[in-house]
Amino acid sequence: MTLPTKPLALTVNGQPVGPLDVPEGLMMQDFLHEYLNLTGARMGCGQGICHACTIMVEEADGAVREMRTCITGAHWFAGKKVVTIEGHAQHDAQGGLVALSPVQQAFIEHFAFQCGYCTPGFVTGATVLIDQLKRAPIPRAELEKTVTEALDKHICRCTGYVRYHTAVRDLILNTPGLLRG
Amino acid sequence: MTKRTILLTAAALVVIGAVAVASVFFGALETSVVSKDVDTPLSAQEMQRLAERGAYVAVAADCYACHTAKDGPAWAGGLAFETPFGTLYATNISPDKEHGIGAWTRAEFHRSVRDGVAKGGRHLYPAMPYASYREMTEEDVDAVYAFLMTREPMPVPNRENQLSFPFNIRQSLTFWNLVNLRRSGFEPDPARSEVWNRGRYVVDALAHCGECHTPRNLLQGMKPGAYLEGAVIEGVEAPDITKEGLTRMGFDPATLAAFMKSGVSAQGSMTHQMFEVVHFSTQYLTDDDLKAMAAYLFDLDAMPATSTPPPAPAPVDVAPPVASAARSTYLNLCAGCHGAEGQGIPHVAVPLSTNASLRLESPRNFVRAVLNGIPAQRFPGLERMEAMPPFADLLDDRELADLTNWMRARWGGRQPAVTPEDIAKLRERGHGGS
Ligand code: FES
Ligand code: FES
Repeated sequence: MTLPTKPLALTVNGQPVGPLDVPEGLMMQDFLHEYLNLTGARMGCGQGICHACTIMVEEADGAVREMRTCITGAHWFAGKKVVTIEGHAQHDAQGGLVALSPVQQAFIEHFAFQCGYCTPGFVTGATVLIDQLKRAPIPRAELEKTVTEALDKHICRCTGYVRYHTAVRDLILNTPGLLRG
Repeated sequence: MTKRTILLTAAALVVIGAVAVASVFFGALETSVVSKDVDTPLSAQEMQRLAERGAYVAVAADCYACHTAKDGPAWAGGLAFETPFGTLYATNISPDKEHGIGAWTRAEFHRSVRDGVAKGGRHLYPAMPYASYREMTEEDVDAVYAFLMTREPMPVPNRENQLSFPFNIRQSLTFWNLVNLRRSGFEPDPARSEVWNRGRYVVDALAHCGECHTPRNLLQGMKPGAYLEGAVIEGVEAPDITKEGLTRMGFDPATLAAFMKSGVSAQGSMTHQMFEVVHFSTQYLTDDDLKAMAAYLFDLDAMPATSTPPPAPAPVDVAPPVASAARSTYLNLCAGCHGAEGQGIPHVAVPLSTNASLRLESPRNFVRAVLNGIPAQRFPGLERMEAMPPFADLLDDRELADLTNWMRARWGGRQPAVTPEDIAKLRERGHGGS
């Protein structure tokens, strides 16, 4: 069986990709895994529930949004700029690690995960939250609740929630400009 | 006529008018359907005998859903009703002597449930569906009374209603009652079967379906001429549940009865207020009552022996550019859960190819679901549906209009007549999500 395809071009982790002939109904996760060999967006449920598969999409104003790749078609991302888990840390020209992102660093320092299967989703979710707080700081009193609400939809089966939560909360407390009042 | 007689006549008319208005206001024309029999208190044995049945009647009448605030103490009231005239709060009907109905007599309870007049002559607002409960039998009201008196008393004070003038004058409800209340209680139709009559009793008197599914007139009374023909409640449509309306949505009596029990069907899952209705009420109804309701709603004297769902509507053509834009949107944002062919995923996402919201005349319910999403829902047994995300900020008015037209045409057999302006009107601000 041949699937009808359409050309797809987008920017992934700062690099232009495509145009590639991609089946019309292919989900973004399959595109990342099978076409680009970026396997970090994890397949957990494949039904939009666990959020292990999320990536960031940059909007026109530079704000980032979290999208589930298991239930969003690859072609929805046509012409958009996306950041997968592979694009968070800084690398040198040879691909060597220069620095983890602040969220990744915080998760490591707090021993936030065990098996790590859910971690790409949590990194994505927490990074989007921090981006939102940069744009719209919140009062200190709302911090715990805001972190809970932002990460709530991410499922971790090693019950790492408390450490994830602490890591994100501490990072926000230690990053100037995210809280007001 | 001299000037003087004209003046006198006018004055007399004003006086007569004032007297008429006053007599309505003070309740002189109010009719009660409550008989004198209930002035005699029930004996302890009768109360005990009735309480068990009362539990079932109260479930069928769905008293709990309104008289218990979300996560609040049982039967202690507090649920808010936003009306065009202000906010009303359901009251404490636990048997607490001070705040609840613990000190109410049998007759006072009957008057409040069936006449809308509470202890001390205080008029209730028709958010309490006494216009429907009016048709409850005396025995059923007694049963609910007996049941409620067995509940835990909750010392929770009632919340003050926030209504604007003149709606804050309870006595003015005498006018509403005069226009909107039927004069008598339930009268079985001797020409119809027992099943049909039982169905009508459950639908009209207990389950008070018409309170949402019958459109209201200017005075907020149920329009008798448009019985169960559908109305917009809290921004969504309580659909037409006449025989024609149900058939249009794809139900037959058997699938309708099953839907009220389970909350899930090929036509979709129960959402909004109907989700709560299934949760608190219809899932617990006996099969006989559900069948009676279904038979009555389809105007049948007996349930048909076999289930024959109506045929699917024939697809309607859509202009190729609209179809191609909509198809891309569908494959990109909908198909992941609802399937490329609209088949859905069991226990995750409902099928769309047979979805009732696409077959309704108004696109409202479909569009609102896409814009605002639907929370994850647990249904009776182990059934559940996962959350549907809101798409308000992922789809602009044109994209959603195209999607709506294409899906309604493809699966609902509806002409593609939805415009981006229609979508703009249905949008609500303040929804985001990934
Ligand atoms: S794999 Fe995408 S949400 Fe679970
Ligand atoms: S660390 Fe194992 S699932 Fe989260």
